[in-house]
Amino acid sequence: MTSALETTDLGKRYGRDWGLRGCSLRVPVGSVAALVGPNGAGKSTLLHLAVGLLKPDEGEVRVFGKAPGDSRELLEQVGFVAQDTPLYPDFTVAELVKLGSKLNRTWDDDLAVDRLGKLDIPLDRKAGRLSGGQRAQVALVLAIAKRPRLLLLDEPVAALDPLARREFMQALMGIVADQGTTVLHSSHLLGDVERTCDWLVVVRKGSAQVVGSVDELLAEHRTLIGPRTREGEYSGVGTVLRESHTDKQTTLLVRTGGPIHHPAWNVSDVTLEDLVLAYLADPNAAALPGPVSLPQRGVGA
Amino acid sequence: MIEFLLDGHSREATYMQLIRQVKQALRVGMLEPGDQLPKVREVAESLAINPNTVLKAYRQLEIEGLVEGRVGVGTFVRRSLSRPTLVTHGALRRDLEAWLDRVFAAGLDEEEVVALVETTLRAVFQEDRFRQGREGIA
Amino acid sequence: MIWLTWRQHRKQMLAALIGLAVLLAVLIPTGLKMHHAFTDMGTERCLNGLGDGSLVGAGKVSECQSVVDRFQRAYGDYGRAALLLIFVPLLAGLFWGAPLVAREIESGTHRLVWTQGVTRARWGAVKIAAITVAALLFAIGYAALVSWWMGPLNRTGTSRLEFLSFDVQGIAPIGYTLFAVALGIFAGTVTRKVMPAMAMTLVGFVVLRIPLAVLGRPNFQGAKDLKYPVVSDTAPNIGNGNWVISDGVYDRAGSLLAGDTQAVCWPPPDSPDADGCYGAGAYNLVSYQPGDRFWPFQYLETGVYVLLAAGLLYLAIRRLQRQMT
Repeated sequence: MTSALETTDLGKRYGRDWGLRGCSLRVPVGSVAALVGPNGAGKSTLLHLAVGLLKPDEGEVRVFGKAPGDSRELLEQVGFVAQDTPLYPDFTVAELVKLGSKLNRTWDDDLAVDRLGKLDIPLDRKAGRLSGGQRAQVALVLAIAKRPRLLLLDEPVAALDPLARREFMQALMGIVADQGTTVLHSSHLLGDVERTCDWLVVVRKGSAQVVGSVDELLAEHRTLIGPRTREGEYSGVGTVLRESHTDKQTTLLVRTGGPIHHPAWNVSDVTLEDLVLAYLADPNAAALPGPVSLPQRGVGA
Repeated sequence: MIEFLLDGHSREATYMQLIRQVKQALRVGMLEPGDQLPKVREVAESLAINPNTVLKAYRQLEIEGLVEGRVGVGTFVRRSLSRPTLVTHGALRRDLEAWLDRVFAAGLDEEEVVALVETTLRAVFQEDRFRQGREGIA
Repeated sequence: MIWLTWRQHRKQMLAALIGLAVLLAVLIPTGLKMHHAFTDMGTERCLNGLGDGSLVGAGKVSECQSVVDRFQRAYGDYGRAALLLIFVPLLAGLFWGAPLVAREIESGTHRLVWTQGVTRARWGAVKIAAITVAALLFAIGYAALVSWWMGPLNRTGTSRLEFLSFDVQGIAPIGYTLFAVALGIFAGTVTRKVMPAMAMTLVGFVVLRIPLAVLGRPNFQGAKDLKYPVVSDTAPNIGNGNWVISDGVYDRAGSLLAGDTQAVCWPPPDSPDADGCYGAGAYNLVSYQPGDRFWPFQYLETGVYVLLAAGLLYLAIRRLQRQMT
């Protein structure tokens, strides 16, 4: 599988603090990837680096094998919907579409007008008078009508009400089905992520903590429930990510190497939400593909 | 044509839910050989789920020989799961009703009945699986 | 890109056109009136009659001076009002230059426009070129208009080489305008916010303009000296637009009797000791920049500001490409 996006030990500094450091990850072509992590973990920084709005201070970022920069070709291949979906408030929707058509050689005007028509967004409405959901939809249309190979979305639905959020995700999934676009979108909403994403990137404190296919990650992780067992005395269960105990019972969330045969454990599947939360709660746990090289230096030190 | 519904609270994987719903429809005769399944794009958009998930479900159904994909056209049902035994449902249901009368007469309330059925089901199925597994080895 | 530039800046263009129209509406009638009066009152004829010499007959000077004073009483206020025009180039810097980049970043729309299929360098180049050319055209129109309008005032009031007067006419306003716009754009790439960019533009403009005008301009070229006796039948020519840097009255031995003034005792009194004649041998010493240095000085100062503008624009584009990240 080739990568749409790949970073190697990527670092970006803001003044003395590192917004991102030692961040290595990849997003395969054709995947719908979720970028998950707490606020300030570096999600926006990563996306901005990928689209060339920021330049790395360390390491490198590659989009379809090339470093994003002031390259027209690459800019045309990447669609970006920024956080809070900025639009020129005094432009009408039609003018925003015209902006897209003037600034992108690969622009598909029919696609843009068609989608806006389906969404019942009036073309003569000023962007400043659109609802949040409509703004997000217009921003999405602007990003996809240039027919990008990679679509980067920075918390596009964070500010939307549930209905607008659903409509946005519906539109996004329709686009993925139509165009086979690779998507990387950052989100807090693990429910959306679970339904829409087949690739997961968890970032925490500026570096990637989990990178991998959702199916594989789910297959590798299990919840084990068994009789009260003392800490550290579980054998053959793989890496323990989270444990909780009552006086009778021990519950573990583990990353397994294979099937668990020990009869004491009642084994059940995990949801993506369990998995993400377990990793975010444990700063030392990581699930990275291949030879895992965790950064030796501390973040922000 | 059927319409998929997702249970957001279910722990069951999305593609499994899709498979189950197709099979359910096949079982009750809502889908018959030759019928078309909803297009991947439509399912992805209406449920706001990853199209790959839909593809995966359809591929699984294809492997099981229930449906076949025709390039550029869509996915069509190949065989039905409705069995003549379903005709006997009426008789089975009457048996169950008679059994339930006995249970309530014995003083169990509704929750206890459900718990009894669930634990029994689980036990029987586990035994079943165990037996099948051994047969497989033999 | 051109369409986008026009779409985003058409309001600014319209505002500038309205401003120019207002200026035309005010300056054309008043200018015509002033030019007519300048001819009709005999001011122009009298001043032209003085010729080119540094010292001319005191009688003629005195005669012209009274005509000039009459014109000044009628139109001197116009000249003072015209000094307001000194702020016009700054306005271009504040309202065209400063928001160009800063507003995009402040409102976050840079994330929209810089991720389209146009490189940031091209975006910057087209926008900056468009705004700079527009500013240039407006500045040329404005400078030509004011230069014409100031014509009579230049010859009757202060020399057009003097502070403020020099600054609103000729080609210097074009240089100031380009500089202000470039400074505004550059400031926007530094501050990334509109108000601070405007403040930086204002401060930068004032900090450079005032010292260069006050300290630099009088020394662009060595001043000339004119020495003439107090008691004399000739007086300095008031028609050649010289800019007096310093003057004073000295006694025979060369010590200063009165600073910042010139004295002419005419018609020559019986005795050099008469009132206000400072005694025998007293003379005036005037240090001045000749009026015909106006254009060389204009070229020099305009050149300096145009070069500064070019440097700032270069830095602004570089920052857009490399540092705005």
